Amino acid sequence: MIEQIFVNGVLASLIYVIMALGFTLIFGIMRIVNFAHGEFYMIGAVIVLFFFGTLGWPFFIAVAAGGMVSAILGVVVERVLFRPLVGDELSGMIMSLAVGIILQSVVLIAIGPAEQSAARPFTGTWHLFGAVVPWDRTVVALCALATLAVFYLFLKFSRLGLAMQAVAQDPQTASLMGIESGVVYAAAFGIAGLLAGLAGGLMAPIYTVGPYMGELPMLKAFVVVILGGLGSIPGAVMGGLLIGLSESVLTTFLDSTAALIASFVIVLLVVVTRPTGLMGKSVR
Amino acid sequence: MKPVHVFLVVAALALLPWGLQSEYVFHIVTMIAIMVPMALSMNLMLKIGQLSLAQPAFMGIGAYGSVLLTMRLGVPPVLALCLGAVFSALTAVIVGPVFLRIKGVYFVLLTYAFGQIVNLVFQEWTSLFGGNGGLYGIPKFSIFGLRLAAVQQYYVFGLLFTAFTYAAMRAIERSDIGALFQSLNENEMLSRSIGSNALAWRIAAFTFSAFIAGISGAIYAFYLGFLSPDAFGFRLSVDLIVINAIGGATSVLGPLLGSILVVPLPEVLRDARQYQLLIYGLCLMIFLIFMRKGLVSLIQHHLRTA
Repeated sequence: MIEQIFVNGVLASLIYVIMALGFTLIFGIMRIVNFAHGEFYMIGAVIVLFFFGTLGWPFFIAVAAGGMVSAILGVVVERVLFRPLVGDELSGMIMSLAVGIILQSVVLIAIGPAEQSAARPFTGTWHLFGAVVPWDRTVVALCALATLAVFYLFLKFSRLGLAMQAVAQDPQTASLMGIESGVVYAAAFGIAGLLAGLAGGLMAPIYTVGPYMGELPMLKAFVVVILGGLGSIPGAVMGGLLIGLSESVLTTFLDSTAALIASFVIVLLVVVTRPTGLMGKSVR
Repeated sequence: MKPVHVFLVVAALALLPWGLQSEYVFHIVTMIAIMVPMALSMNLMLKIGQLSLAQPAFMGIGAYGSVLLTMRLGVPPVLALCLGAVFSALTAVIVGPVFLRIKGVYFVLLTYAFGQIVNLVFQEWTSLFGGNGGLYGIPKFSIFGLRLAAVQQYYVFGLLFTAFTYAAMRAIERSDIGALFQSLNENEMLSRSIGSNALAWRIAAFTFSAFIAGISGAIYAFYLGFLSPDAFGFRLSVDLIVINAIGGATSVLGPLLGSILVVPLPEVLRDARQYQLLIYGLCLMIFLIFMRKGLVSLIQHHLRTA
């Protein structure tokens, strides 16, 4: 029982972490709360539904395509729509609402409101310490871990990754050091789109695909990021694990709505008592 | 063009439904009359520099509160309407001192979470609120023995309330209080240094906006005779933001114009909901890029040059 709850929690939290990382990255660098983040997840899933489900491409290639499309979309909307609003938190937030609405309606027009499901590329289960683990969730978890590892290495060792961290910490000093903020903004949106698109693509065969499917993961990312601290990357990882595990416990003993209410109450308490989150830095 | 001309146009528009004599048109204008005060309550919060996503929750508290008082306890509708709005205002007074210490993005996130919790309670507490299936059998509103049954009567009721809210908000805008709100928004440090109690004024604005939203909710509930939690969800916040962005948030005229333009959209595009969303999103985007001060800036420009 306890093993099962733990395994379920970890499996769920990996996707939360990936969603939360992109969300927190955009906020940390551009101070924009991206309400359209869930729509990038949805786009990734729709691409997989089309390439894998309809055209029969290999699953992993379809997932990669989903990630790429989301990433390109992210770069484009950043350059055209968000760049003029940098520094204006409120307008940036409202713009992200507009982007979210437009992406939802475009997909609604393209595939209709019905929830569709893609064929499952992996079936069956295996056992881990007495807990039943479905293979498809295992594959998702492994891909998620690989993505996280690549993201970590990128941020720690690549020039662009270091530049992104520098801008997040202190945009003025970073620009004095010759870091082009425009490139960093585009990279932030591109990477956030890539991560969300990959997450959506991986989850497409597990849940149903539809225009509104991004709302729940967005909500989760949002809760995770507030808990961990807006803009904090270690916070997103910790928050993701915390929310995934506590949700798994609450869903087992109560129900999923109780878990959702509980997570919002946690958000309220965290913002009120410690607005910068558990791992956030103090307001600059 | 003088300001009085703008009001003549709005007044003529308000009387237009009687010329058309169509129930459907009356329904749409009634919805506008309910939404204008909501948009104004959002506008008041924007005036103090806070984007509040809690307004739909306050509307919901007013709606469910007044209706349940009438249905379960037999409270007369007029009293129930006032009590429902008082519940909303009380909620704002209770959470306000905590919420309003927080500014910017965190306030938005906080009110978002608060709105979600209130909405989930409406959804989950089915024995009291009827849950997602909705709350049916709401009696019609009656005042001093006059029972409001026809849509025209609700329209007049809504119109009176809209006029009251508009006058109140405009009075606030033009008074010293309006100037004070503006100073808090633009330079809080300076404003506090000359002795304004920033938090107290913010709580006052928040409470008044919740009160207005509560009455709107109650009128909405008695008019439709049916309530479901999704009417008070995040979508309504988005609508209110769209109305303020298109109309313009700098003046109370903005939300009025915005409501007249935006509220009929879902009704006009009833058969093509997907295009409605698309138009919504595109309008919001275009106004954010090209006309940050909304339609009202065009009219103000006209008034000045005339």
